[in-house]
Amino acid sequence: MKRTKSGDSHLAGGWGIPTPDSSPYGFRMTGLGSRPSPQRWVILLLSLAAILVALLSACEDEEQPAATGTPAATSAASPESTLTPASVTFMAGFKPQANLPFVGVYVAQEKGFFQEQGLTVKIEHSRTSGEEFRFLVAGEVQIVTADAAVVLERRSGDPPVPVVAFALIGQKGQQGFAALADSGIETPKDWEGKTAGYKGSKPTPDYLAILDAEGVDRGKIQEVRVGFEPQILTEKKVDVLAVFLSNEPDTLERLGYQVRTFDPADYGVPTLGLTYVTSESYLQEHPDIVQRFLKAALKGIYYAKDNPDEAVDIVLKYAPEEEREHQRFMFETELAAALTGAAQQNGVGWMTPEQWQALYDKLQRYQALSGTLADLSAAYSDVALRNIYNDGQLQWP
Amino acid sequence: MEASEHILVEGLFKAFPHRGRSLEALRRLDLRVGRGEFVSVIGPSGCGKSTLLRIVGGLLEPTAGRVKIDGRSPLDAQKDKDIGLVFQDPSLLPWRTVLGNVRLPLEVNRIDGRRPRFRPQELLELVGLSAFADYHPYQLSGGMQQRVAIARALVFQPSLLLMDEPFGALDEITRSAMRYELLRVWQTTRSDRPKTVLFVTHSIAEAIALSDRVVVLTPRPGQVRAVIDIELPRPRDESLERSSRFLDYAQELRNLLKEESP
Amino acid sequence: MTDVPLRPPLADWEPPALAPPRWNGALRAAAGYVLPPAVALTIGLLFWEFWTRARDISILLVPPPSRVIDRFLDRPGFFLGEGMTTLYEALLGLALGATVAIAGAVLMAHSRLAERALFPLAILVKVTPVVAVAPLLVIWFGFGLWPKVCVAALISFFPFLVNAITGFRSVNPGAMEFVRSLRASPLQVFLKLRAPSALPYLFAALKVSLPLSLIGAVVAEWFSGDKGLGLVIFTANYQLDTPTLFAAIAVLAVIGVALNTVTSLVERRVLFWHEAFREQQ
Repeated sequence: MKRTKSGDSHLAGGWGIPTPDSSPYGFRMTGLGSRPSPQRWVILLLSLAAILVALLSACEDEEQPAATGTPAATSAASPESTLTPASVTFMAGFKPQANLPFVGVYVAQEKGFFQEQGLTVKIEHSRTSGEEFRFLVAGEVQIVTADAAVVLERRSGDPPVPVVAFALIGQKGQQGFAALADSGIETPKDWEGKTAGYKGSKPTPDYLAILDAEGVDRGKIQEVRVGFEPQILTEKKVDVLAVFLSNEPDTLERLGYQVRTFDPADYGVPTLGLTYVTSESYLQEHPDIVQRFLKAALKGIYYAKDNPDEAVDIVLKYAPEEEREHQRFMFETELAAALTGAAQQNGVGWMTPEQWQALYDKLQRYQALSGTLADLSAAYSDVALRNIYNDGQLQWP
Repeated sequence: MEASEHILVEGLFKAFPHRGRSLEALRRLDLRVGRGEFVSVIGPSGCGKSTLLRIVGGLLEPTAGRVKIDGRSPLDAQKDKDIGLVFQDPSLLPWRTVLGNVRLPLEVNRIDGRRPRFRPQELLELVGLSAFADYHPYQLSGGMQQRVAIARALVFQPSLLLMDEPFGALDEITRSAMRYELLRVWQTTRSDRPKTVLFVTHSIAEAIALSDRVVVLTPRPGQVRAVIDIELPRPRDESLERSSRFLDYAQELRNLLKEESP
Repeated sequence: MTDVPLRPPLADWEPPALAPPRWNGALRAAAGYVLPPAVALTIGLLFWEFWTRARDISILLVPPPSRVIDRFLDRPGFFLGEGMTTLYEALLGLALGATVAIAGAVLMAHSRLAERALFPLAILVKVTPVVAVAPLLVIWFGFGLWPKVCVAALISFFPFLVNAITGFRSVNPGAMEFVRSLRASPLQVFLKLRAPSALPYLFAALKVSLPLSLIGAVVAEWFSGDKGLGLVIFTANYQLDTPTLFAAIAVLAVIGVALNTVTSLVERRVLFWHEAFREQQ
């Protein structure tokens, strides 16, 4: 006796579990069913094509040059003759603090030096490493700060980043190493058998150069990648930490920890510090604006040199949560470094081909660059510097 | 039918707390069921028939009164695996096969050897589902699932079968067919050990077709309003439902129930 | 047992030819799901390639797919190897997070008091941003596997907890009543009833947690360690090496999709009895 199927509503009896899904993606492809029919395929492809066409045509006029960074008024006057008002966005390579290039810009902004140069400057800060270069390349900012070595690294990268340094503020770099004073580590030789922490993707050339200079066996050191928290040293997770000499050692001492620092310069390893950087294209199109910016920023640095207290006050305006004494330390340390080297004779920010060559050689020697640079001199430009300084004196206005 | 009582319910009270007050479900209910009897309990909605069944089955505690199954408490009868339960929702475990579901009571809390038992395969044959032993509940219709539930309830050859509207979710045609299926199963297993059935329903035809006696309850709080002896010969089949005696019983029950409805 | 057939058993229709789904059916279905997005993806990639070239977009901002593929093919072993590292960390973390969550859920499903006491803690875990916790984990657990496993575990924890609790509680009341009437011990109730009922929910949690745990491992790799796709992404991002960046992201995506597909296949096989999978009827 045949019967109809009944009671289907109670299949698997009222388990009432909200249905997960039967598709692999965690959602039902509503409207398409489990096996889309050919007609639906055609519709899908056609709509996709329509979207492509719409997007392409809608993006016709998106390629306007960035509003900032060009002369605000489209005057026919040549750049040299009058100070055509211009807008510039500057992005500092770290958070707001008293790194010397930042100080120069902060002071120039607050004391109106940029204004005197006919510049309206917007100051930004990079929040993640490398962000400043991305904005530079995209045209969103025009001038950033960067380590001289990083400039060469980016230029030799694959793909290469077309940036140019136009002033070397840090005649000597701040890269160094620190160990707790009570750790018993007194020389680099003592690093053997210990743990060394590096930031970035691998140990720096300065690290390797120090090991070379002191005959330290690298194989006996455990190298680990760390973040930016100095606790990694105080918690003794590492014995030696890569630091910025103008920064972490002071921070640690203020926290109550005595540290011993290792400066590459003490081991015959030359370093270069922070530079002002712009993109190749911007330098080519607006050398005048770059020059005016640099002039004002350098004047800012000189002003800060003569008025350190006021300078620190200004920094704190941009970095209200920072500690005054620590900012003071950072400023003074970097200022001292800025007045050495080529700057002694020629003014803050001066740079020579020899300095860059020495840096390049070191980086090459320790394989810090992804490739060779066909033309090293294209990485830096001292044209603005030459126009700004006369025999080591800043020409103002 | 033996005269000794299988189920004894005396002065049963059951009240549920509900929003701070007490909801009386059953009041002063008396009932006696003899061994091997098939007794239906019928009544208007909410009269407490399911509650009564659950108390007899040891799933609920009475508020007052006495319930004895063969002299033991329902809980003890449960522990002895002497009660089989079939509810409106077969509640089969969907991840187990039909055979696995019937076998479930054997896996839980074994009381090895103390009780005779049916082999699950045999039970499936009994209910006509041996070809479906490896299927899963979702592949069966409601009626078939209910048959599995019946087989499952019979595993330990319980002397008492409690059924709460087992066919309530089925369509009319299946339902009336299942009625006689149940009788067939009951008759078959009856010869070995007489099996008492307490059957809750709200279908008059079902009550009459199945039972030796029909107990009619009053609306809430439930009490026994009347007990009708069904003197129809066994074995019974559908043709019985057209007989005048059947129709008379049906009328009588309808009257009893109608009086009660507000 | 004497059999007195008073009437023959009801003859049902012929046993239907239905059988629980086997592997080959599942694979065919999987192919049906892989093909459409593969085609759509290819169209999208062609469009992307065309646009970056036509608009002369700097590779430092958006690389054309051809360069990304090139970069991958330069050293596929590298990308896949790093991917396996990240995957390993993610799976370990997921296993840890799931275990703790399920254990917690067992406790909470049986005790409302435990739930009230512990659930807010669970929410605390969920709400804490991973990037804030990751550096601390490095300081506490060192530079090895642990910080990444912990991050992945933290991320996987909550979905499993919530789903497991709901799953353990979503038992058919009729079945619960029946099993209780068999005088089953709480352990038996759990093993035979609660645990299988929770399976659909656990699979759902798995699908949510797998990509999350991958992301957790990737983020944790930004903060320490010298291996993994997270580090590749971090470094490539810093160096503006967009082809490598996108290649790493693509590998991550493929891993995620593969995991999801495998999970779905297994789910289909294990949960064939569940309402959601009865398409054949």
